[in-house]
Amino acid sequence: MSTLRTLCVTLICFGATRAAAQRETDQPVLAAKAATPTVSLRIYNPVGKVRVVAWNRDSVVVRGRVADRDKFFFGGSGEGMKLGVEGPENAVKLGVDPASPTGLARVSDFVVYVPTASKVWVRTVSASIDAVGASGSFYTVSGPIHLSGTASSIEAESMNGSLDLDVTTPWLRARTGDGHLLLRGAPQDVDVSTISGTLDIATTTPLRAQFSSVSGDIHYVASPARGAIFEFSNHSGNVDMVLPESVSGAFMLSSITGTIQNGFTHVRPAASAPNSLRLTLGNGGSSVTVRTYKGAIRLRPE
Amino acid sequence: MTSLETHLTEDERQSFADDTMSPEQRASAEAHLAACRSCADDVARLTTLMTRIRETPAPSPTVALDDLWPTIRARIEQSKVVSLPADAPAVRRLSPRVWWFGSIGGVAAAVLIGMAVMRGRPTGPGDAVGPGTTPNAGEPSLIAVVDSAHAYEQEARILLDKLELRRAMLRPETAEALAHDLHVVDVAIAELKEAVARDPNNPALRRLLATSYRQKVDLLKRVSNAS
Repeated sequence: MSTLRTLCVTLICFGATRAAAQRETDQPVLAAKAATPTVSLRIYNPVGKVRVVAWNRDSVVVRGRVADRDKFFFGGSGEGMKLGVEGPENAVKLGVDPASPTGLARVSDFVVYVPTASKVWVRTVSASIDAVGASGSFYTVSGPIHLSGTASSIEAESMNGSLDLDVTTPWLRARTGDGHLLLRGAPQDVDVSTISGTLDIATTTPLRAQFSSVSGDIHYVASPARGAIFEFSNHSGNVDMVLPESVSGAFMLSSITGTIQNGFTHVRPAASAPNSLRLTLGNGGSSVTVRTYKGAIRLRPE
Repeated sequence: MTSLETHLTEDERQSFADDTMSPEQRASAEAHLAACRSCADDVARLTTLMTRIRETPAPSPTVALDDLWPTIRARIEQSKVVSLPADAPAVRRLSPRVWWFGSIGGVAAAVLIGMAVMRGRPTGPGDAVGPGTTPNAGEPSLIAVVDSAHAYEQEARILLDKLELRRAMLRPETAEALAHDLHVVDVAIAELKEAVARDPNNPALRRLLATSYRQKVDLLKRVSNAS
């Protein structure tokens, strides 16, 4: 039953992906240019949607639709390009907010195909960013960011948008304020944080990681890799760790005024001073430090 | 086969030095080396090198690199916080300013350690991570954490000054999000500062304070992208 359900979900997802890809290719070509494999691209779109797809070709192609009064620009050489959408020329020159006077945002959607080894730099205001296999820097004020595929490095930031990072990369750094941050995929060196947004971690591959928040809860549902060094830090949010019974690591948990709950009751802590706990699970192949000021720390088996 | 006129090839020199030549080749090579100073010097250098390599003790098989790596990595992370001039080897001549701050750091460390001892809080390896404990030799220096908090505080102040110049350019929703996030971080910093004032020797508190300042600096940098 479960297998059948999984198969159905997979087929639906596959169908949806195919349909989305078909829709993308139905969009008119806005620009196309030959590029070097390591071309740098700066991509702007204030409102709407930006999708970046890495492909194994030495060219950049942009497909999509631009809002009526907005202008699509595309310039640069094969080594560095700049493209995107801007408001009416006079408005931009005067520094006026490009949103329309009626208060309705002008929406532009486009997809940019870039060489796999290229570096992109994407900036939006509320436009969503969706990238597949693209490396570089992704920034939005309030739009959601979804990154997937394999990348050489990822930097994703938002003021209060949500981040869904499902990437395989050796280096990943992500920040958001109120937004939800979900980390999965296979990153190695990780530094992610939120201010008050929830931080969910469901990946076993990081070797060195810093997870921090100020008031958002941190949920870790995975098992640290052998040799991994993790540091969790939270001020008033909770840190919940759901670990498999077979987990292996040295856990150092401390909270100034918060509570610490150890669900691995069969393991005798090495030390248990007030508001701190140190215990070794398995053969202690990883090192996990958790610090909070008043947030609770909960350690429980899966 | 070598002759007296042509120099030994790199392969022949290496083979001669590590004694893997056939007897015939070796005889021919010896004849050339007797007549060629250049090749003889080079082979002598290689032979010395081979001898040293053979004499170097093999790494202990009982210590797996995987076991060593977490400790090494932890040391690297500690050194990233801030370097301590007092502990650092004198590789180059320090400027008077660096020496001055180093001295202050050393004195401050001595005072803090003294205070901890006076308060009668013996520390064991088990409770080193606990709140209200004094850092032991294995913990990152409290001074380093204090310094990093100060550095973040200064950077935050500079970024806040810059933000004031750009505040008018922020969209209303961005300004609102910023105000909310800054409030959350500032409340956390204020609480931590109070706690540090009550318990200045607590490394966990210092680290939390440094992390909160880092969050504030990151937030202010994000705003500069938004404006």
